[in-house]
Amino acid sequence: MIGLVDANNFYVSCERVFRPRLEGRPVGVMSNNDGCVIARSAELKALDIPMGTPAFKLEGLRQRGEIHLLSSNYELYGDMSARLAQLLRDACPEIAPYSIDEMFVYLDGFTNDQSEALGRKLRQRIRRHLGLPVCVGLAPTHTLAKLANHLAKQDPHYQGVCLLNGQDHTTEALLKRTPVGSVWGVGRRLAERLAIGGVNTAWDLRESDEKQLRKRFSVVLARTALELRGTPCMEMNALDQPRQRIMTSRSFGQPTGVFAEVHNALRRHAQRSAEKLREQQSMARAVMVFLNTNRHRRDQKQYFPNAVIALPSPSDDTRVILDAVRQGLEQIHRPRYQFMKAGVMLMDLVDAEQHQLSLINPPTRDRHPFLMATVDQINQQMGQGTISFGMTNAPAAWQLRCAHRSDRYTTRWDELMKAGTHPGAIDACTSRT
Amino acid sequence: MPGQSVHFIPALPLSSQPLPYLTVTGRAGFSGFPSPAQDYEPRTLDLNTRLVKNPTETFYVTATGDSMEGWGIFDGDLLIVDRGIKPRLGHMLVAMLEGEVLIKRYSLYKESPHLCSAHPAYPPLPLEGSDCQLWGVVRAVVHEYLR
Repeated sequence: MIGLVDANNFYVSCERVFRPRLEGRPVGVMSNNDGCVIARSAELKALDIPMGTPAFKLEGLRQRGEIHLLSSNYELYGDMSARLAQLLRDACPEIAPYSIDEMFVYLDGFTNDQSEALGRKLRQRIRRHLGLPVCVGLAPTHTLAKLANHLAKQDPHYQGVCLLNGQDHTTEALLKRTPVGSVWGVGRRLAERLAIGGVNTAWDLRESDEKQLRKRFSVVLARTALELRGTPCMEMNALDQPRQRIMTSRSFGQPTGVFAEVHNALRRHAQRSAEKLREQQSMARAVMVFLNTNRHRRDQKQYFPNAVIALPSPSDDTRVILDAVRQGLEQIHRPRYQFMKAGVMLMDLVDAEQHQLSLINPPTRDRHPFLMATVDQINQQMGQGTISFGMTNAPAAWQLRCAHRSDRYTTRWDELMKAGTHPGAIDACTSRT
Repeated sequence: MPGQSVHFIPALPLSSQPLPYLTVTGRAGFSGFPSPAQDYEPRTLDLNTRLVKNPTETFYVTATGDSMEGWGIFDGDLLIVDRGIKPRLGHMLVAMLEGEVLIKRYSLYKESPHLCSAHPAYPPLPLEGSDCQLWGVVRAVVHEYLR
């Protein structure tokens, strides 16, 4: 059996562990720079506030105290996620974290009953020991486990744990009412193409001919169909492949049109991207730079340019990437625009080990890997941005805005949760300071 | 977020801070016999192994207020709170009551379980019929004389 443990409204739930007052209230967590809503509590969903709503549109509700909006607190979420993974590691034979709030657990040799019992135990333990609500989906394959989890979340009858064995009537009934676009790995466009061929539900896909699927669509889709039948054929490592593109972008705290300020932000993104690139041992063949103005400000002139600079040879050298970023920015920067966002994308990645050395541009000095490794090591140990190329650390308009961030309760000594020795002790303390 | 692989580095609140443990080196007498201590690997005492039993389920909390001084918890003290422990009578608890996070002692008062303060101004709160929820059990208090 494969289990998928998925936290409910993970970001909001993490906040509530340390701020019990937020329990039962509409709470949203905002993206970097407090741009838009990226996580919603059930109560906020019930107010019909969609995902991605720009935060400024909710400012009135927030000020009237009808909803709570928090800046994202990734340090807290990351720590809680690591704790969740560790708890599962201690209780299960094998686990694979899939995203910050979803972890697969592998229960080889467990019967259905044993799997379900473990699922219930895990759910209770995570709730009590970490304070996080989770749902557990259990099934013979990743794809079915994902659906089982969805069902566990939607249908209160399951009390948070749903097991689908792949063959019974529950599985059939569920697959028949699941639109094919909700199946793991089937995107919207693929779903549209499938619909033309009469494949509308997950059940239709399961009953489709595997060879036809492979021929008309892809091996991946054929595998998905097999997985829906209960035949495991997806390896987690396949999901864990190095990324093909690396992107770092941020909204500015305040819009800016000043070349030096935009350049500074981009240089920071470039350095972070290069670090990620070396981390996964890849090299980039090209660098894309892009700028956005604020599309919500209809009164301002809009401009969303980008430029792609090809590198002379694949590289993971920060200096080469910085140089490309400067060239790109010079091409696209225009005065008299107020930019809201800037980003760097490293494209066409190749494996650092395998890449062919160029005959035309042989690397002149081979010392750069040592320099880069040293810089990465120092930044890892001493904190991001301790060493950087050029001055990027000066406080500027583009720095992260997080006006409503809660404390980093689990990672900073001076931001721990407070517990009062009597009712009102904390309020008395905060009013004193 | 769902659908994409995220790599996160666990933060390090629970990392080891080993203290040097005195190791005996040097020769024992003239006879050339090796030191009896030499078979012992140099060891370190780690406060974490003493105070933190379940690292995944341990959280640090700051005490606020003076109503628990009678039991040795002072304003600003560091509480080591283990959420993996089943509460028993006599334990110090972190509990949630009407949206507030409180430190109380779990004990019997008039033969029924109450949450008690070490302060005459705050009478014991009966657990029966209250919406009080357990957050965790206090395993240790760190009171720093020098800060």
